[in-house]
Amino acid sequence: MKLSDIAQVIRSKNAGPRRLTFDIMFGSDEDYRRVAQSPGLSAETIGGLYGVPASEVAIFPYPVGRAIKVVLARKIMAGDPGDFDVYGAQQHAPLLGIEL
Amino acid sequence: MSASGRILREIRAARRPLRVLGASGQLGYGVPTPAFEAGLARKPDMIGCDMGSIDIGPTYLGKGEMATSPESTRRDLRKVLLAARSLDIPLIIGSAGSAGAAAHLDATLDIVRDIARTEGLSFRMAVIRADTDRAMLIEAVRAGKVSGLDDMPALTEQDVHDAANIVGQMGTGPFRRALEADVDVIIAGRACDTGIFAALPTALGFPTGLSVHMAKIVECASLCCVPGGRDSILAILDDEGFVLESMNPDRAATPISVAAHSLYEQSDPYTVIEPDGCLDLTDAQYVAVDARRARVSGAAWKDSTDPTIKLEGATKIGERAILLCGSADPRFIAQSKDLLPKVAIVVRDLVCEDTPEDYTLRFRVYGVDGVRMNVPPGEAMPGEVFIMAECIAPTRARASEVVRTCKQFLLHYGYPGRLSTAGNIAFPFTPPEISVGPAYRFSVYHLLHVDDVDALFPVEIETT
Repeated sequence: MKLSDIAQVIRSKNAGPRRLTFDIMFGSDEDYRRVAQSPGLSAETIGGLYGVPASEVAIFPYPVGRAIKVVLARKIMAGDPGDFDVYGAQQHAPLLGIEL
Repeated sequence: MSASGRILREIRAARRPLRVLGASGQLGYGVPTPAFEAGLARKPDMIGCDMGSIDIGPTYLGKGEMATSPESTRRDLRKVLLAARSLDIPLIIGSAGSAGAAAHLDATLDIVRDIARTEGLSFRMAVIRADTDRAMLIEAVRAGKVSGLDDMPALTEQDVHDAANIVGQMGTGPFRRALEADVDVIIAGRACDTGIFAALPTALGFPTGLSVHMAKIVECASLCCVPGGRDSILAILDDEGFVLESMNPDRAATPISVAAHSLYEQSDPYTVIEPDGCLDLTDAQYVAVDARRARVSGAAWKDSTDPTIKLEGATKIGERAILLCGSADPRFIAQSKDLLPKVAIVVRDLVCEDTPEDYTLRFRVYGVDGVRMNVPPGEAMPGEVFIMAECIAPTRARASEVVRTCKQFLLHYGYPGRLSTAGNIAFPFTPPEISVGPAYRFSVYHLLHVDDVDALFPVEIETT
């Protein structure tokens, strides 16, 4: 099963101009637990998808919001020459296909 | 007595829950009227509006321009101003004019004063500036009182000199001083969104943790609801918690939707760092009141022993010109990654014949790798691509020269296996080159450690 088959929301946005934050939200506690316990959504997997070391990927389980938050450093500060997504709102795509 | 004096006196005399209306998370992009009017009918004690963000990038801050159009900005300001005056309640607006520097604040004030004249309104207005004094900042840099945020390199004196604008993000303190000065309207430069909404409740002695948590949610209007949206939201705060209700009956604030909102644009869902302390949401609880309302409690607050102000500054890096075009040639698309840098060399050899290489030229191939931070190898090529070439050069003329030259030689560049010898690219219109204007980058994104936070944000009072 892919992450996009089970999550209700998979979104990305800047958390300040130097960080990207990803929110993965679920429709039920059961779905949340299933993904939170899955080895598929690991710092290694996410780091690989975004080309950053696993040590720079922070994952926060947030059960009260049935969500998992992921935070990465941006490779280019928002708005700097060479930036490709000033708001960071379209960096979620690589997460969609994560196999759980 | 003005609106803030009246509300402070009334609730201090007879304590009761406070009713806060979050009118808009982005004043200037439209405030939906039905929900806003429904909110006014609920007799709020204040109206708050956030008007800016750092998300929009460095150019608005650097250039001193609003992101919103003057027409829609005026429409929104008129709407909230007339409402606040008719109910005689404080109107509190933060991050005026998108980025909250002097130019943005002054442009917002010009509109507010003009609305007052046109509508025959007279009110007391507090204006809080957020521009950072350069001499003070250089002293702070020398004294080691400035630190980079999120691995930002250390701030230098040169950075301070070069920035077009530098602002500090004010917290609740300056807003509280303005409220205590007995005013009807507060228009602030760059501000924490929490400052806008937490100042009145904390001035009235409501718990800081609850006040700041409520502020953090209502500043985005009904974004914390399902479905999320920009309709006004009402929060009713007491000493143990607050109840959230969207003023659009089709949006519901549920325990899950409100809890999940703490994730939004934050790097840590449990901790929010503010200038004068830290909001701790570890023990926050979210309970349904009914199908459309949630009650929130449990947020804790810890005062900081080292108050800090977040600084934002933007520096001009040149003039930007772009070229817009597309391709439907599979061979061109397949080779684009190798071919475009070669075109850049052709361009350089022409435009640098008698001038140094004083510009940058970048290509972005939409359909292939225009958007993503990291593209996996071996993806299938699309049938069409959109190509943007972007030049940043010292002058508008130079940037234009580079992209015009680029257009011609990208159109006619010969590559191995080329079949379409009449032209490589399609233009949606001509001229396909556009001078965008000055380009900026964030050069300041730092924390300033200060003893007297309020001294950075002077409150001026005027009567319209």
